[in-house]
Amino acid sequence: MAAIEFLDVSYTVPGGAQILDHVSLVIGEGEVVALVGRSGAGKTTLLRLVNRLLEPDAGRVVVGGRDAREWEPIRLRRSIGYVIQDAGLFPHFTVADNIAVVPRLEGWDDARIRSRVDELLQLTGLPPAVYADRWPGELSGGERQRVGVARALAADPAILLMDEPFGALDPVTRAELQSEFRGVQRRLRKTVILVTHDMREALSLADRVAVMESGEIIACDAPPAMLASGDARVRKLLEAVTVPFSQDS
Amino acid sequence: MRLVEFWLSHRNELLTLIGQHILLVGTATLVAVAIGVPLGVFAARRPRMSAPLVGFANMVQTVPSLAMFGFLLPVPLLGGVGPRTAVVVLILYGLLPIVRTTIAGLNGIPAPVREAGVAMGMTPRQLLQQVELPLALPSIVAGVRVAAVVGVGSATIAAAIGAGGLGEYIYRGLSMVDTTVILAGAIPAAVLALVVDGGLLWVERRLGSRRSHRRLGLTAGAVSCIAVLLWGGALLAGRGSETIVVGSKNFTEGVILGEIVAQTIERETGLAVQRRFNLGGTLICDRALLNGDIDVYVEYTGTALTAIFRQPLGQDPAAVLTTVRESYARSGRAVLDPLGFDNTFAILVRGRDARALALRTIDDAARHTSGWRAGFGYEFLERPDGYQGLASTYGLRFQEPPRVMDLTLTYRALASGQVDLIAGDATAGLISALDLVPLEDNRQYFPPYDAVPVARSDMLLRYPEVGAALETLAGRISAARMREMNHAADAGREDPSAIARRFLSEVR
Repeated sequence: MAAIEFLDVSYTVPGGAQILDHVSLVIGEGEVVALVGRSGAGKTTLLRLVNRLLEPDAGRVVVGGRDAREWEPIRLRRSIGYVIQDAGLFPHFTVADNIAVVPRLEGWDDARIRSRVDELLQLTGLPPAVYADRWPGELSGGERQRVGVARALAADPAILLMDEPFGALDPVTRAELQSEFRGVQRRLRKTVILVTHDMREALSLADRVAVMESGEIIACDAPPAMLASGDARVRKLLEAVTVPFSQDS
Repeated sequence: MRLVEFWLSHRNELLTLIGQHILLVGTATLVAVAIGVPLGVFAARRPRMSAPLVGFANMVQTVPSLAMFGFLLPVPLLGGVGPRTAVVVLILYGLLPIVRTTIAGLNGIPAPVREAGVAMGMTPRQLLQQVELPLALPSIVAGVRVAAVVGVGSATIAAAIGAGGLGEYIYRGLSMVDTTVILAGAIPAAVLALVVDGGLLWVERRLGSRRSHRRLGLTAGAVSCIAVLLWGGALLAGRGSETIVVGSKNFTEGVILGEIVAQTIERETGLAVQRRFNLGGTLICDRALLNGDIDVYVEYTGTALTAIFRQPLGQDPAAVLTTVRESYARSGRAVLDPLGFDNTFAILVRGRDARALALRTIDDAARHTSGWRAGFGYEFLERPDGYQGLASTYGLRFQEPPRVMDLTLTYRALASGQVDLIAGDATAGLISALDLVPLEDNRQYFPPYDAVPVARSDMLLRYPEVGAALETLAGRISAARMREMNHAADAGREDPSAIARRFLSEVR
């Protein structure tokens, strides 16, 4: 069954430009789909339609077999994990409290929250004894991003939305987190939409790569097929990949 | 040294005044927070609303505090004489910094943090309580700090409308021209401001380090509850049903007469008396008496005739008394028998000048005034029996327009040569103390100013013994005796209550 379906959706900024132009995309359960394209292509906008941070002005978004508009927005958001570029951690909460946000909103008891937080810290490679009581301001960028991922996974959502999750990290940390993401995903099998402008990241993490340009999906395929694409616009993105490849290896 | 002695000898009163001051500022600040923070949240959500709102708060802030007290006096429910009006004014002043810092604090929250909250499924309320307000808190506390510190300062002015607080000493000191008494109020007020500033700065810093939010929240809650309880208690205790409230004007003689009236009522009737002295002017006293904020105070017939009832000037003391008595009766107030002296305006010059130029009457002085400067109290410039009429009656012209200053400061200004002619009180103790000479009103411009207690008729009906007690004062205070008492306060630095006690023990 499809986990997320975009059916002919369009989105226009109120009183402004059209960002999405009749986009359709079906994402299966447990599938990782990367949205790739340059800034302003509409990747983040498409992502935000899923948890109703934005509403399409034409077409439908179906989440878990139900039209997103039928979902109560609060319910919907609590059942979807969300990771953003600089993690968006609450600076006045400790690491443990940040991870516990959704479980607390959902009214879990303290013991269950405590054990869940420890479990997630282990999963994301942050020893609980060291990190649980630290403040976001005391963490490195990579550590913050790990906490961001742990927070998104806290209530065990079936869907994970990731908007440039590794975008602000140095190349070494980024590679480290990417490889850990693959490991975690192998175990958890979440449905993931990953927004990135880095074609290499998309190719290495995603089951399918959707290339966006000017509010449209111009190509969508598995990485091997994408690498073999003859589309000039796709080739241009692929060429950009080879340059950093040669630089950091 | 005198300052420390003053504090020691007045330590109970000092503690009461500090308590009142803290209560005024504390209550006002708490209410300002309760109103200002929601307003700030509202404005931050609707940027279109925030400009007019902050603009309005700004405008309120620019109104001088004394003027603000004046505006509010006649307003029902909010206004009147006493701490209530003072609290309202302090709240209005406190709103601007709090609203402004609330808006700034909320706008300063990084967009990804807010977005993360929404995306995790927080309701707008949960977002506000768990994320936005805690993050804006250091900024809000900074605003509260400004509001509280400004409040400590503004509250000193509240003494002018009988709200109590450390301003009492400042006003008392001004009216006695006694720097020690002024400092006795000003120094604790300054220290209080520093303590409040330091304390809230500490809270702000702690919040900045993002710890122990919950405990601070509890502390703040507990402090608010205690303040509100204290306040309620103070209001209840402040005016029982069996209490007579005695008011007075804000100069030495007014306060002494207030003490004499208050002690007479206490002695003769055994009723409890509350003192609301140093009210800032004739019209404030009048308004307070009309509203029932005070029950009795001492007024002068000529002042009531012209300034309160706006009647033409009259010269016959008996006729003036009758007119005034009838006018008061129409608004439910009774004039008791005159105390026995006439405190007319005295046009004063330095003794040195009077002797050198052989000045005896105002007409004599009119020949020299074109080269002189004059200084008058605020009231004298405005009132119908004041400067305008005097100038046209005697053809007075000065080198420059008269300087406006606090009545009690004019004596010093004259003695030190900053001005050359003032209008003082005929009974002022400073006249002889500073070697000043009153000029004769040879054209009889000024009406009689017989001192009379004015009281609310309903109070006199309820407590006839108060009327009887005040009758015992009729005709007992001569002009000479009054001058002597004023002098004891102004030059002898004696306490008004002690002066009144001595007087009452002598006349018995």
